[in-house]
Amino acid sequence: MTNWMNHHVQALKLVLGRMHDNFLSTFMICLVVGVATSLPGLFYVGVDNLSKLSGHMQDETEISLFLKVGVSQETVATIEVALSKNTEIKQHYFVNKDEAWKRFQDESANNGDINKVILQLNKNPLPDAFFIQAKSAEPEALEALKNSLQTLPGVEQALLNSEWAKRLSILLKLGTKIILVIAALLAITLLIIIGNTVRMQILTQKDEIEVSNLMGATSSFIRTPFLYAGMLYGLFGGLLAIAMMTGIMQAFNYSIAQISSLYSSDFSVALLNPKLFIGIISTATFIGWLGSYIAVSRSIASFKIN
Amino acid sequence: MIQFDQVTKRYPGSDEALKNVSFSIDAGEWVFVTGHSGAGKSTLLKLTAAIERPTSGTVLIANQNISKLKSSAIPFMRRRFGVIFQDHKLLYDRNCFENVILPLRINGVAGAEAAKRVRAALDKVGLLHKEKAMPITLSGGEQQRLAIARAVVSRPSILIADEPTGNLDASYAADIMGIFQAFNQVGVTVVMATHDALGLSASQSRVLHLNHGQLSQSESPLS
Repeated sequence: MTNWMNHHVQALKLVLGRMHDNFLSTFMICLVVGVATSLPGLFYVGVDNLSKLSGHMQDETEISLFLKVGVSQETVATIEVALSKNTEIKQHYFVNKDEAWKRFQDESANNGDINKVILQLNKNPLPDAFFIQAKSAEPEALEALKNSLQTLPGVEQALLNSEWAKRLSILLKLGTKIILVIAALLAITLLIIIGNTVRMQILTQKDEIEVSNLMGATSSFIRTPFLYAGMLYGLFGGLLAIAMMTGIMQAFNYSIAQISSLYSSDFSVALLNPKLFIGIISTATFIGWLGSYIAVSRSIASFKIN
Repeated sequence: MIQFDQVTKRYPGSDEALKNVSFSIDAGEWVFVTGHSGAGKSTLLKLTAAIERPTSGTVLIANQNISKLKSSAIPFMRRRFGVIFQDHKLLYDRNCFENVILPLRINGVAGAEAAKRVRAALDKVGLLHKEKAMPITLSGGEQQRLAIARAVVSRPSILIADEPTGNLDASYAADIMGIFQAFNQVGVTVVMATHDALGLSASQSRVLHLNHGQLSQSESPLS
């Protein structure tokens, strides 16, 4: 056990020493890893926040239930009861046609054109209506609820004013797929970059590997320092990526806050996303490990006893 | 300790480097391997040190058949040997101390114990004062002694040396032989390839003489 520990501590010390000696080139590689991981990371933050924002807006989406003109008080009461019993509905309220008409007139009082039209109409064209907020914000669930409300007797039309939210959510799903593709491509690139870097290091330490091998070093003894090197490239690259992302998000947040305030919303991009950060670091570290594992295994295979 | 039975070694695209070689070496013995250049001395040493496997025949080291040993077991077999290579195989990117400590790292010895043993090995070959020097600054004889220090630092029971006095002048060579004799006296088995007569002056030693890959003179103790 102490042997094993020694072996790893020594390998780590050795690698950190080498990285310190070649600081600039090490930093460059970490920077490459950092940039390559921060790209999909930033995309993810963008899409994630947009979907949060769209969820936020879907909360405010309503189903408007317009009743048939001249519907009786009893029918309104029946619908009222049906709505109260429906478990999918968070809240609902009734606006009768006179109330709606009055509100419409008030709201358009300052608009000359509409006011003129209103004055030309000599009777109320508006129907009675229910306005309903559903519990779910899922477009599919809302759609289903709308369709079921449509079938209630006395209902002229059920309208779901969240078509745009639906489209946005589909676009966001597409965005998520694009991120996955970009991330996969960049992961392959990173694998190659780190693998190649480690392969170069193996070449410069060919003598040491050969001598160690002749003296009875096991494959794991030879492999470990290179695996640590790959993992450290990933780790430092991941940390750099997080630093860059935080900086970029901070810069964007200022503009977002300005836009939000225009829409009287307090929306902003969360700077600290531990799950995402841990994900980025562990993915980059794993890719570093894998890249160097492939490189070093190929090199060790060439030392096989014949 | 070491047993060769009908050992043949053929490298791809060349003649047999060793043909039907059989001999055995006991623990604590001193054995010279002689022969013209290209006679197969280095091949014999490599087979002895589990660096290569025979094409046919069996090589037994401590009753273990090298051909049948798993690749993962080979490194542990190699640790029984201290090998001094013809071309030293020193690492020129680090100082003498770091060169000698390498086998200890491989064996998992670290810290103060390792440093103590490195200095003891350097002291034995008279290089203690050059601990911080880079190998490239050493003379040919000193480099050879450094290679010996590296070979003995992990206290192997068998020392294998391929022409350790090859490129050295007589006084250096005698020096080196003296170091080997000191190890042999404390029970270390020594197998040494050489083509010069100097080494043969050592007493109580056996000679394995190779001629075009064949053992022409198996047992001939000099006196």
